[in-house]
Amino acid sequence: MRFPKLQPFFNARGWKPFPFQKETWTAYHEGKSGLLHAPTGQGKTLAVYMGPLSETLDQPNHCSVLWLTPLRALAADTLRALREPLAELAPHLQAEARTGDTSAAIRAKLRKKLPHTLVTTPESLSLMLTHADFPEKLSSLRCVIVDEWHELLGTKRGVQAELCLARLRAWFPGLKIWGLSATLGNLTEARQTLLGTAFENSVEVTADLKKPIIIDTLIPKEIDRFPWSGHLGTRLAPQVAKEVEKAKTTLLFTNTRSQTEIWYQELLELRPEWKDLLAMHHGSLDPTERAIAEQGLRDGSLKCVIATSSLDLGVDFSPVDQVIQIGSPKGIARLLQRAGRAGHQPGKSSRILGVPTHALELVEFAAARDAMRARHIEARPPLEKPVDVLVQHLVTCAIGQPFPADEMRREIQSSHAYRNLTDEEWHWSLGFISNGGAALAAYPRYQKAQVIDGRYTIADKRLILQHRMSIGTIISDATVSIRFANGSTLGTVEESFISRLKPGSPLVFGGRHLVLVRFHQRTATVKPAPKNIKGHVAVWGGQRMPLSTELAHALALRLKGKGDPTPEMKAVQPILDIQKKWSRLPDDDSLLVEHTRSREGEHLFIYPFAGRLVHEGVAALVAYRISRFSGESIQTTHNDYGFSLNARRGLFLGEEQLREVLTEENLLDDLIECMHTAELARRQFREIARVSGLILQQPPGRPTQSQRELQSSASLLFEVLQRYDSENLLLEQSRREILERQLELTRLTHVLHALQKRPILFVETQHLSPMAFPLWADRLQAILVAADATTRLEAMLKELNKAAG
Amino acid sequence: MNAFQIHGETIQFFPDGAIFLPDHGALIVADVHLGKSATFRAKGLPVPEGDTSRDLVRLATLVQQTQATRLIVAGDLFHAPAGITQEIEGAIQHFLDQVGIPFHLISGNHDARLKRFPCAISAVDSYDIGTLRIIHDPKDTTEDRLHLAGHWHPVVKIKDGARRSLRLRCFLLRNRTLVLPSFGSFTGGAVIPLEPDDRTFVAIRENVIELPSQLVR
Repeated sequence: MRFPKLQPFFNARGWKPFPFQKETWTAYHEGKSGLLHAPTGQGKTLAVYMGPLSETLDQPNHCSVLWLTPLRALAADTLRALREPLAELAPHLQAEARTGDTSAAIRAKLRKKLPHTLVTTPESLSLMLTHADFPEKLSSLRCVIVDEWHELLGTKRGVQAELCLARLRAWFPGLKIWGLSATLGNLTEARQTLLGTAFENSVEVTADLKKPIIIDTLIPKEIDRFPWSGHLGTRLAPQVAKEVEKAKTTLLFTNTRSQTEIWYQELLELRPEWKDLLAMHHGSLDPTERAIAEQGLRDGSLKCVIATSSLDLGVDFSPVDQVIQIGSPKGIARLLQRAGRAGHQPGKSSRILGVPTHALELVEFAAARDAMRARHIEARPPLEKPVDVLVQHLVTCAIGQPFPADEMRREIQSSHAYRNLTDEEWHWSLGFISNGGAALAAYPRYQKAQVIDGRYTIADKRLILQHRMSIGTIISDATVSIRFANGSTLGTVEESFISRLKPGSPLVFGGRHLVLVRFHQRTATVKPAPKNIKGHVAVWGGQRMPLSTELAHALALRLKGKGDPTPEMKAVQPILDIQKKWSRLPDDDSLLVEHTRSREGEHLFIYPFAGRLVHEGVAALVAYRISRFSGESIQTTHNDYGFSLNARRGLFLGEEQLREVLTEENLLDDLIECMHTAELARRQFREIARVSGLILQQPPGRPTQSQRELQSSASLLFEVLQRYDSENLLLEQSRREILERQLELTRLTHVLHALQKRPILFVETQHLSPMAFPLWADRLQAILVAADATTRLEAMLKELNKAAG
Repeated sequence: MNAFQIHGETIQFFPDGAIFLPDHGALIVADVHLGKSATFRAKGLPVPEGDTSRDLVRLATLVQQTQATRLIVAGDLFHAPAGITQEIEGAIQHFLDQVGIPFHLISGNHDARLKRFPCAISAVDSYDIGTLRIIHDPKDTTEDRLHLAGHWHPVVKIKDGARRSLRLRCFLLRNRTLVLPSFGSFTGGAVIPLEPDDRTFVAIRENVIELPSQLVR
């Protein structure tokens, strides 16, 4: 072994380092940065940590390693894992965590002196950058490790991390940066994004642990009775209960929070004796409830935890020996990530059991398996230069280390996200944080950062405090907290759900049957419901995740009959046969268009296989373009496979007309027109206003006089900016973000472009085909094209008058 | 038509958030919050200027349109001490010279924090016109007469389909108190939980109509 200093640790455990660990250590000792691509399992922690540890073993206890984690909840587990080798190899060195959860006492201690290894989050790291003595405290820093980089990639928190790393690189040119990532389709780009200009001469290490992942599916016994649509489908619950019975500890993943609540109820009904062995985990539950479920998983005292993506991330739950996925896997990387939650020890295989909620999901599981074998995994595109994150970071820097503009610009542009920052964007951002810049006339007497001796500086104590409280890019939605009369909280729901209930109405939340007592000022007071009362399961807004491009493509291949025979395909064959008989099987080489008539008029069903968000956009676009010449109002629905249009008449279109309504020409203008982008952008602006510091974070409790003076809503600010500073880059950003997040504009553009070349297969059907049926059945979820407020109100009044006769 | 008979008083509503009493030649608005954006800027929040001059122009237009002989602001003409800049004082002086009618300010909770009002404006706790009384905070009403008030920035929520609702600034009549919407263009609103006999009036294009109770959420 070439790393003698590390030997005692491995010898004591009878372990031998994996090749990928040695590879990482070697690269580290050559002074290289890099990205380690490894599945979950503890081997990766040692791989990235032992390099810097062996380098600093004989050093005094100065801060040498920063460990960035995306999740506060992970910090405690990480700390435990890092302290193990520390205790053995260098007991004089310490490791501590500093996150939003850290106690005031430890924080104060860390303000004085940093430990050898500091575990922290991007937000806490940013906060530390506002302290003038931070660079001095870090003077022994050798390495920054970014855990779960794939989680940060493509988010504003990831960009925040990029900027922090750029700062640290500027301070310490020899700094090594290592990222850890799960499987991604764009690992090289992920490394580029992490390292910025330090990408050259960096390496990618892959841990091929030969950890096989097995994707199995629960096959419904009678496929002809199995539903063609739906997404909550608990039809297979009895079979699922049997599988849970067989395993020691099961992690059962669903796609939505409501589905979690429903499956919890369902399993409890089937196995009342599991009352204390079942738990639930989703993002809206109170943190203490979540902590109980996590602890139960860790010590193996729970039989089954039903969870959403809130448990996707890497906390180590070794006792889990079975993972079940309810409903569509949505993406290959996501399914693999979830599968990796079982058999967490190196060498053990991971198995995931897919449970379809409707027939076509059987094909999705078969397709996901194909794509996994072919290693067609989704990419996560990084974000490009969000202005709100930049201005927040510039204020952070001006507080901690006043900067000259040119030097700072070089530093900012050394990050991947801002490598293409333009002069205009840079000068605008500087103006925004100092005196109004180019739009100076619109901002009389505004002054934040001052230029002193050529350096942007913020010295005003009040501004500094205000900024420290506002650091971060996670903006929580306006929610209502649910609590008992004694004050103990259960979690949060959205106002739109609770405001529909009247006092006395039953509801289900966090697995409990409750009755609403009163709803007042963001708090809903509840009490336990009397026995045998069934209530509404809490629903949360938020969009459902679209099927990924890669999975959609694998699915289309399966429908074309490609691939080995599998139990899923055998089971679903009778339904595919009906589809073939009544219409045709859609795929992604051609474009299937079904036309049919019913009492409701005409229906068009179109199947681009591009995921629900893109279909929503294309459906609105096509409806808008058709109604422009037919004058009919058109209803649309969409799912992951396609979309449908319904109108009284005017939908029997020839190929030429279809081509016309699917054209790429005028795409952006038409989309903005038909999706009411202006209205959507206003909503998106809330996050941007918070991140850029236009809206202050209100601390809990009653606002003080001066806080109240500075309250305003994002939509109000949006209007003011539109009216008096329409060139403001934040407005442009909110339009761009809404198009990308709400409609996946990039993907939509690619899809429309590809559709130009796909031959159109127009089929007149007598019955709704199996593919069309779910779209038809879902029609209540249709978005109706909305008009501005006045027009809507006028329509409502007219309706009322008509009803009154 | 925008005129309503309310407790024996003829009241004209304006879509811009003002009311006019034709029998007394009085134009009334509430919660203008002049200098709000300047307050934000003074505290380090980059919000552009524009609201003050715009709101004064809107107000001058209303004076001209109604041929009012007096103008009353039902409280919160100003937002905060930090918002009173020289530019704003100048704009207000220009406005007062331009309209040239008596101007009365009821002291609102925001006004009360100012040590000195610009342009020799003074404030009173209430202002009576005939039997009608104008105050700032609706909680200061008495049973015996019709009151005009502000302070609440009332907004009404209208059902718009199953999952959506529309928020509109409104005039709210509760018992014998008529609460005006906030006039300032950089002011927000609050949804007021309605009581059974409340009446609400909203702007729809050039008119103000009473909202049928079926539409209220």
